[in-house]
Amino acid sequence: MATPFPSDAWIKALKDRLNHTAAYAEAAKNWEGDLYFQVDYAARAPALLYVDLWHGHCRDAFAVTETETAPKAAFRLSASMENFIKVLKRELDPIQAMVTGKIKVQGNMVMMMKNIPAVLEFVRTAQQIETEFLV
Amino acid sequence: MTIDLTSGRTATISLEPALLRRYLGGSALSAALLYPRLTRDLDPLGPDNPLLILNGPLSGTAGPSVGRFTVCAKSPATGLWAESNCGGFFGPELRFAGYEGLLILGKAPSPAYLWIHHDHVELRPAEHLWGQADTYLTQEKIRVEVGERLARVLGIGAGGERLIPFSLLLCDHGRVAGRTGMGAVMGSKNLKAVAVRGTRKIPIAREVEFNRLRSAANLELRNSTTSTVFREMGSANGSEYFDFMGEMPKRYFTRGVFEGAERVSGAVMTETLLTGVSTCHACVIACGRKVKLPGEAEGKGPEYETIVGFGPQLLVDDLAAITRLGRSCDAYGLDTISMSNVIGLAYLLYSEGKLTAAQAGGPLEWGDPSGAERLIHFTVRREGLGEILAQGARALGRHCGVEEAAVQVNNLEVAYHDPRASSGMALAYATSPRGACHNQSDYFMVDLWKDTSYSGGELQDPRAGAEKSADVALHQDWRTVHNALVQCFFASVPLETTLNLVNAVTGFDYLLDELRQVGERAWNLKRAINHRLGLSRANDTLPKALLTPYAEGGSAGLVPDFPAMLLAYYAARGWDEATGRPTRATLQRLGLGEVADDVWRTD
Repeated sequence: MATPFPSDAWIKALKDRLNHTAAYAEAAKNWEGDLYFQVDYAARAPALLYVDLWHGHCRDAFAVTETETAPKAAFRLSASMENFIKVLKRELDPIQAMVTGKIKVQGNMVMMMKNIPAVLEFVRTAQQIETEFLV
Repeated sequence: MTIDLTSGRTATISLEPALLRRYLGGSALSAALLYPRLTRDLDPLGPDNPLLILNGPLSGTAGPSVGRFTVCAKSPATGLWAESNCGGFFGPELRFAGYEGLLILGKAPSPAYLWIHHDHVELRPAEHLWGQADTYLTQEKIRVEVGERLARVLGIGAGGERLIPFSLLLCDHGRVAGRTGMGAVMGSKNLKAVAVRGTRKIPIAREVEFNRLRSAANLELRNSTTSTVFREMGSANGSEYFDFMGEMPKRYFTRGVFEGAERVSGAVMTETLLTGVSTCHACVIACGRKVKLPGEAEGKGPEYETIVGFGPQLLVDDLAAITRLGRSCDAYGLDTISMSNVIGLAYLLYSEGKLTAAQAGGPLEWGDPSGAERLIHFTVRREGLGEILAQGARALGRHCGVEEAAVQVNNLEVAYHDPRASSGMALAYATSPRGACHNQSDYFMVDLWKDTSYSGGELQDPRAGAEKSADVALHQDWRTVHNALVQCFFASVPLETTLNLVNAVTGFDYLLDELRQVGERAWNLKRAINHRLGLSRANDTLPKALLTPYAEGGSAGLVPDFPAMLLAYYAARGWDEATGRPTRATLQRLGLGEVADDVWRTD
């Protein structure tokens, strides 16, 4: 059954997959840092999904409902819903999305570039979730 | 301006607007200007080889990353067309002095340097610098001698003085015209350096419009993700990615995996040695690295090619050692890509028992940078094996009975972007007019960095074959435009922005495809020059190593389908399949009818 995106169920499904994907665990063995996915819409407030990633393991994941009390995160990846859909459907390459600013990256770029293989495995894992897009 | 070093005479060349419109400037215009002079019997190290230092219409303006100039001649490395472009501040300063370029002919009777300050042009003695001053000290001493602290100096080191065919020109904080041996050409003319100072205004056809456009372009460029990572991590920002994809060669192109590669990336340099950044003229990217090694003064940090060449290619994982090797090459005026290739081959041959420790002056163990340091010194002194090393990788391979082991095309050593992971680089290396070069088409940026601005937004499979040949040709056309402007490849601004800037600065009002065609015309003209210099279809080839699959790593098992790619490329280019020459129809379409007569004269 497809899991709706963006939602708490989807990000928890991602957590589960990440923690059962050996390729991600290996590629992300040096990754330290939590992050937000910020899904931007034209006519409503953005949706925020939080994941805490630590040395190839996802320690926590949830959809943010109260932005005031949400934890600070090392990274924020923000994009329109359309571009998130394209990446998850493999219609937009994640490197291309970052390079062209279709996904905006806030945070330590040195850490990000050191761990591009982890980013690619992360996206590959996310693409495997059967997803229903809440447009 | 033309200067004949033999007679000391100078002259001014006026260029017709129609010629400028057809070729813009930089290496494209250089090809047009040098075409009549480059012949098969011309000795690259003889006095008749013209050395042309040329700017482009954007050089020295405040446009996005346009502080570059180009240096062209017949190459002592390849015997073919030579071009190499360089950043820093020298090119802009030449324009501020009132000159678009310098055509240097003849040979000075004794070592000399050229001092240009507006209309003052003087050939000064340089015996006290020759054999004495490295590329940095040369700059310092000349600035003192001419009494201008702000003078910009482009000079050679011992490599150029000793006519090493991969010696370079260096200016400012280690900005180099590195490839094809322009240092040796300058050295063959007994010319140690060119110093210049000027304060004149650069001509801009529509200045208000240009200023508005360049402000917007620089703002966009500064804020782009690509510029951010170049600023924060230098040109080696993509090391981990290239390593992961199997695009970074290791152990002289024989291995796809080296665990130590992750310890010598641009990111690691930022976290460990980096003390600051440096820029070229008016550039908002600032990719240059300043690093401090323990017990040493702050100096230039290595860029991607130097890191890979002296790092993973030798299985060295010591960033400080790599930095020192790069600095040594800069000071001697040697191209780090070629020098590290030659050394990488020496290490490989040593590991295979084809080169002995006695020949190499000691062991050449993978992972040990001391052997590399020793070979650099041997090379620049042409001492022992250094006499062979100084002729390049092909000569070393031949010396050891395995010429085919040298990873080169037309005697220019291959840069460190592997076509086994980025198949477009197969054509980029094989068809480049100056030998294996990533600065005629950095197609890995399309294949891996996903820069689709040159291919209508279409993503490429990095391992695709003949279906991408036409796109490689298109990319080469555009990169030839950039090399005409002269604009840094790191300036990732949209083509429309570049078009608008060019039109505002020149007043030519090109359409986008007309601008592209400037690149295509120059590409074909360089091909015609190379045909005259002896290049044939057999030269469009790749070395054996690049057609041998890796056993491991991100590109394991893959090799580009090169023969099919090349045939499709010829078709896309409008080149004759049997000879590799541009057809008459192609040359005539590009307004090169007179060149067609030359190319096809023998038939």
